[in-house]
Amino acid sequence: MSATVDPPSRISEIDEDPTWVVPLPDDLALERVGEAIGAIGNGHAGIRASLEEDGPGSGPLFAVNGIYDGEPVPRLLEGPVWTGLAVRDGSRRGRRLDLRTGVLVRHDDDSGVRTIQLVSAARPHALALRAEGPVDRLDVADPFAAAPPTAERVRRGDVDLAWTAAPGGGGIAVGVRDRVEVVGARRVVERIGAWAAGPSGPPDLDEVVARLDELAEAGFDRLYAEHRAAWAERWASAEVAIDGAPDDELAARFALFHLLACAPEEGEAAVGPRGLTGHAYGGHVFWDADVYVLPALAAMRPAAARAMLEYRIRRLPAARAAAAALGLRGARFPWESATDGTDVTPRQLVGLDGVPVPVRTAEQEEHIVADVAWAADAYARWTGDATFLAGPGRSLVVETAEYWASRVRLDDDGRAHIEGVMGPDEYHEAVDDNAFTNVMARWNLRRGAALLEEEGDHDRAAAWRRLADRLVDGWDPERGRHEQFAGYWDLEPLRADRLGTRPFAAPLVLGRERVAGSQIIKQPDVVMLHHLVPEELPPGSLAADVAFYEPRTSHGSSLSPAIYAAVLARAGQPDRALAAWRLAARLDLDDLTGTTASGVHLATMGGVWQALVHGFLGMRPHPDHLSLDPCLPTAWRGLTVRLRFQGQLVAVRARHDAVTVECEQPLALRVAGGPTVTCAPPCQRFPVAPPAERSTR
Amino acid sequence: MTIVLAALDSSAAARPVLETAISVAAITGSTVRAVHVREDGHEVPAALARAREVPLRELEGPVEEGLLHELGADEVIIGVIGARGTPAGARPVGHIALHVVERVAKPVVVVPPEALEVPARPTRLLVPLEGTEACAEPVVALLQPLLADDVDLVVVHVLTATTAPPMVDHPDWGLEHWSAEFLARHLPDAADLRIRTGPVGAEILQAAADAAVDAIVLCWSQDASPGHAAVVRTVLEHAPMPIFLLPAGPR
Repeated sequence: MSATVDPPSRISEIDEDPTWVVPLPDDLALERVGEAIGAIGNGHAGIRASLEEDGPGSGPLFAVNGIYDGEPVPRLLEGPVWTGLAVRDGSRRGRRLDLRTGVLVRHDDDSGVRTIQLVSAARPHALALRAEGPVDRLDVADPFAAAPPTAERVRRGDVDLAWTAAPGGGGIAVGVRDRVEVVGARRVVERIGAWAAGPSGPPDLDEVVARLDELAEAGFDRLYAEHRAAWAERWASAEVAIDGAPDDELAARFALFHLLACAPEEGEAAVGPRGLTGHAYGGHVFWDADVYVLPALAAMRPAAARAMLEYRIRRLPAARAAAAALGLRGARFPWESATDGTDVTPRQLVGLDGVPVPVRTAEQEEHIVADVAWAADAYARWTGDATFLAGPGRSLVVETAEYWASRVRLDDDGRAHIEGVMGPDEYHEAVDDNAFTNVMARWNLRRGAALLEEEGDHDRAAAWRRLADRLVDGWDPERGRHEQFAGYWDLEPLRADRLGTRPFAAPLVLGRERVAGSQIIKQPDVVMLHHLVPEELPPGSLAADVAFYEPRTSHGSSLSPAIYAAVLARAGQPDRALAAWRLAARLDLDDLTGTTASGVHLATMGGVWQALVHGFLGMRPHPDHLSLDPCLPTAWRGLTVRLRFQGQLVAVRARHDAVTVECEQPLALRVAGGPTVTCAPPCQRFPVAPPAERSTR
Repeated sequence: MTIVLAALDSSAAARPVLETAISVAAITGSTVRAVHVREDGHEVPAALARAREVPLRELEGPVEEGLLHELGADEVIIGVIGARGTPAGARPVGHIALHVVERVAKPVVVVPPEALEVPARPTRLLVPLEGTEACAEPVVALLQPLLADDVDLVVVHVLTATTAPPMVDHPDWGLEHWSAEFLARHLPDAADLRIRTGPVGAEILQAAADAAVDAIVLCWSQDASPGHAAVVRTVLEHAPMPIFLLPAGPR
């Protein structure tokens, strides 16, 4: 008698390496958190990690980059969720996100159902799902069961199509074709899908069907293999390894995974604060994209960073109109934007106990104008793409500088001021001469002047430089530190570190007015300058500014801890930096804010990468060299980061006593403030002194 | 058939207790039964029950044990008891009522004597939640299944240093997202969420007034010893409306 042997599973195993695999929570209360954490995407489109059979507490979403509804305050348009299956007696257990290969897998021992989902990293419009389970537990069902109620449906032959379209907004269509097979006692469902989308009206269904036909010809296994290869390629220029801290390593890779999945490499990329992993902030584009996310992509996926800048470039007409509407010159980028580049910041939102609260960020957070310019420059520094700032990116720097040139007010003493603004610290509204805004504007004017000089426009360049020199920057030579804005020193001298366990949202605990009248701040403001434009600040001022402002920071913004991690490392305090870094790196994995359900915090993730690179490695891209100055926490034996610098792959492997640099071509390098040397490929080792033996920066 | 049990005594609280029991029965599809433990005469309970055509069971013996026995009957789903004898009573809850609510494993509605305007059919209940699973679970498990669909639960969450969201990225957008998840996680069928700051007990009372609710629902650990249940005591002392007390923790 021959024994019956089950055929091998059609669901591929993943490498269960705990530094690459994120288990999703199986607690019903954390259902939506898991959906955000486990979201998968390719930059063009993304889907949350909802159970295939949907169910209570679920918040499914399929969204496409840059596709919004048509409301006055637009939100990401909900496309047809395409992963519906009938799973009987399923559970939430056994779901994992494989960071290495970009797939969402489910090994549900309760039902015996296994699934694997992917949004192809190789083919922008390809979607795929394979499921396998006992015939009485798994069956095909309405693939669009979890699609929004507004979705329209049609079946063409063996293709199920669904689409959503918003009046005055965009449209998203998805088509799927199922292949069902019964193998012994198991049913295998193989679903291949394709999508199409457009910013106005319903998309062309014929296009979806044509794409689906092409994908069906390739088949699931080929799509899966291509997808894995594409992710391997992404990771090849985005490696991060932390020796001696596997939990930190997983958290870092988790951040990088979502960064790598948040923007396409073609066209334009509208990267909202939560990417395509949730609805939060309507998917609007804030400074989060320019200052937090873009630098990481510029060094890991330069084409995606370029697409993010293309989003800004194509909205220059709206930015020019916004400046002109205020009687000013140049380009004024909006605090929040969506499809057309006009400001879509809500003017009023519901605050405590349902009381309407006016929102002033649109009028006052003007620093975004310089932030956009800074992002363009950061892209150019990482990529070495000299043609960008001389060509398509020029206006992002020059026209923003022109805006500041028309925005500042000169007083009778010839000093220049910017009044009525809000810095990154949103606890203090309508302040004058916010150091962050003024210094970023000064940097913007000087960078714009440099571009004008290259073009031979020396007179205007000189005028901008003079204006830049006149801008007050809050530097207080007597105190040896910067004043955050005019009058800050006179505020109630409350310290956040003495009020309770940080982080805390200070206005919710103390009340808005009390906080506004105090020195408590939400996030790095002056300190943010040390992170973004350290060359603009007096040498040696970092330590004094950090020492003063950190205790006053409530870290009530998810943007705060990672930046402090970076500057604390630069200030020679790597162990304190690590504590801050872990807060940022675990923010979504542990749902520290209680809002991960509405999407992962991409800006925090960008900050996590920046803290590793700029903070712990002390790496800075310069036009003619790369500088390094590692400063590792004692809990880490080593830190390795691989990225792209000026066209070549560079790996930096830092340990406490040395740093090894791998490069493909000779690389101009400056280590720990020493002279510029040429690092010879394939690698070279440089000894470094421990932080304690180095002077404070 | 399910029963809402009204514990009537001869005090000024008896009438509000009976009226509340009738209104609670209206939204739970139950009938009302009254019980009186003879202690200080039975004329008042008997007259009230007769007037509202509610069957009255009169008992002899220790009051507390008698009430607990009656509340323990399987068909009794909710008990209704008077908070104290007079509006100016020295304590928020009389000692018998307190001992009963500390020991019974069912929802008990505590009615202040001044709650004279009890609606025939309550439509809005205020549910203060502190944001823990233990706090919301009794509402979901014990109360919600009993209530008719047309009863709205309005949640109030009073932010304190320990319960406020640690980070709110945008001054108001962020609170919106946090609030949505708070409701989804703790009481997804609630009609509304009010977020307030300040002393918890006082803010619950103010929220009840602002939201024009008919009653307040409080989960508690059934421990009223000194140093415990400060919020429950404050609400019992000052709320002019019935308060549903739901036992939290293992049952």
